[in-house]
Amino acid sequence: MMATIALVLICLAAALQAAFLLRKGGRPDPVSHWLLAAGGALLVATIIQRSIAIRFVAVTNTYESLVFFSAAIALLLFVLRLVLNRGAARSTGLPPFVAFGATLVAAVLLMISSSPVAPKEIVPPIPALQSLWLVLHVTFSFIGEAFFVVSFVAAIAHLASRSEQKRADMDRLAATSIGIGYPIFTAGALIFGAIWAETAWGSWWSWDPKETWALVTWLIYTAYLHTRLVRSLRGRVSAILAIAGFAATIFTFFGVNFLLSGLHSYG
Amino acid sequence: MKALYRFFRSVRLAVVLILVLTVLSLLSTFVPQGQPDQYYKARYSAFAAGLIAATGMGRFFSSILFLAPGFLFTVNLGVCAADRLVKRARTGAKRRYGPDLIHVGLLILIAGGIVTSLARQEKLVWMAEGDEAALNRSYSVKLLGFEFQKYVSGAPKDWISTVSVTRDGKPAIASFPIEVNHPLRLAGMRIYQSSWTMEGAAHLRDAAGALSVAATGQGFQEGDSFWYFAEVRQPGEGSADWRAMFEEWKGDSLASTRTLAAGDAIGPFTVERVSGRLLTGLKAVRDPGFAPVIAALAMIAAGLALTFAQKRGDVAA
Repeated sequence: MMATIALVLICLAAALQAAFLLRKGGRPDPVSHWLLAAGGALLVATIIQRSIAIRFVAVTNTYESLVFFSAAIALLLFVLRLVLNRGAARSTGLPPFVAFGATLVAAVLLMISSSPVAPKEIVPPIPALQSLWLVLHVTFSFIGEAFFVVSFVAAIAHLASRSEQKRADMDRLAATSIGIGYPIFTAGALIFGAIWAETAWGSWWSWDPKETWALVTWLIYTAYLHTRLVRSLRGRVSAILAIAGFAATIFTFFGVNFLLSGLHSYG
Repeated sequence: MKALYRFFRSVRLAVVLILVLTVLSLLSTFVPQGQPDQYYKARYSAFAAGLIAATGMGRFFSSILFLAPGFLFTVNLGVCAADRLVKRARTGAKRRYGPDLIHVGLLILIAGGIVTSLARQEKLVWMAEGDEAALNRSYSVKLLGFEFQKYVSGAPKDWISTVSVTRDGKPAIASFPIEVNHPLRLAGMRIYQSSWTMEGAAHLRDAAGALSVAATGQGFQEGDSFWYFAEVRQPGEGSADWRAMFEEWKGDSLASTRTLAAGDAIGPFTVERVSGRLLTGLKAVRDPGFAPVIAALAMIAAGLALTFAQKRGDVAA
């Protein structure tokens, strides 16, 4: 129920952002970030409610992962809006198109969570998942990926924009988002993931398809960060890599779960 | 030599090699790994199976296709890391240790990975309650008890193997519960709760009065049928009786299944007794590569944090 209300709030936020995007002036709307905050809080409450029921942090199946990912995006957008639009930074702020695109991604993820693809039964975790390292692995990975969502939309805006100034702003926003998201993702997906795998199975790396795809995602963002050091690769090439990185993120989550099998086939 | 050095310290080369490794790695996930050549011949066209065999894509992470760009990337990473340190020492440029920590950490991680792939050893031991098994020349473990905990739904909640450990015949650990995510650590070795199985035995007597004992996984031929002893079951919770489940296979097809108790007949045999016992699967692992890997991961984490803090400082300035 709470997740459904959260979906309605996030969709309302997206609708409001779209309406303001179509108006002249490109001013951000004054309400949508509060709707996102409320939606994100409800999704966190959903995770807490399920955690109490299973007596473990509820990030152990596809439904819970999608809810957590959406919550991370919604709350990140709220925080970015507050931080970027305050004081001296008010002139630039969180671009409305980026806020709208990222909100749309959060809404789509929540819609998928409400589909039969993600069973909603509250199921306690199997023995391999009962680990603090797993909780750190999943939560850090998704928080990092929430930043990648922002970079993805900013990269699209960079490629689509004709204004030199706007392209530079979007390039900077994508780079900053990846600059923050990359260390969090590295800690979650690779460092905590390797420690958990060693604790659970006695093998810190198995070249399991999900591990390989997480590595692929990390390599793409690593390449992105290195393109920032080469002047001629900045801008267009960087933006293409930011988009490819997000595509790899999504494939790591959905594609591997549904198309490829391996140790991570549970969620 | 200088040209080679310039070539390997290039950031452009790093980007190209990272992207080459990325594309090849992602392609490898669409090819099932570690299968025999016949597997690929049966499932792919002749051309695709030939391509997989020629390129080594079926064992991608130990093939030249991965190792060659991996080696070039490692050299590139090493030269870049050294070049940064040397340049800074010469010019006295601003100290930025974050990327250095990340690059050196990655080199140690790669070294740890190589050690793991070459020197990691593992051994799976099946034990019933009371069994003792030697792990190496010094250590041996004895299974004191094995508990299979379930949720109300019947789904597995935990497997706990309680063991005692002796070193050179003397008691070392009186009792330790090994669980999933809670291995036993012994001088450079870790013991994991890996698996469990129900081992069954069916005592079968033929018409001539000869007795033979079949274990689960075994079977016998009768005409064009093969009777496979699949598993043993208890008819009810806490029951002392056991039933043997046999599958009748005709070629590749399952023709029938039969659940047998003492006194039942199957083929030329009469079942005299069925028994079962729970076995735990403990996996002993020795991985000398893991310690450097942990050190490398800690360095990478510290490097990332430092880089982030320095960037923040730059923005604030």
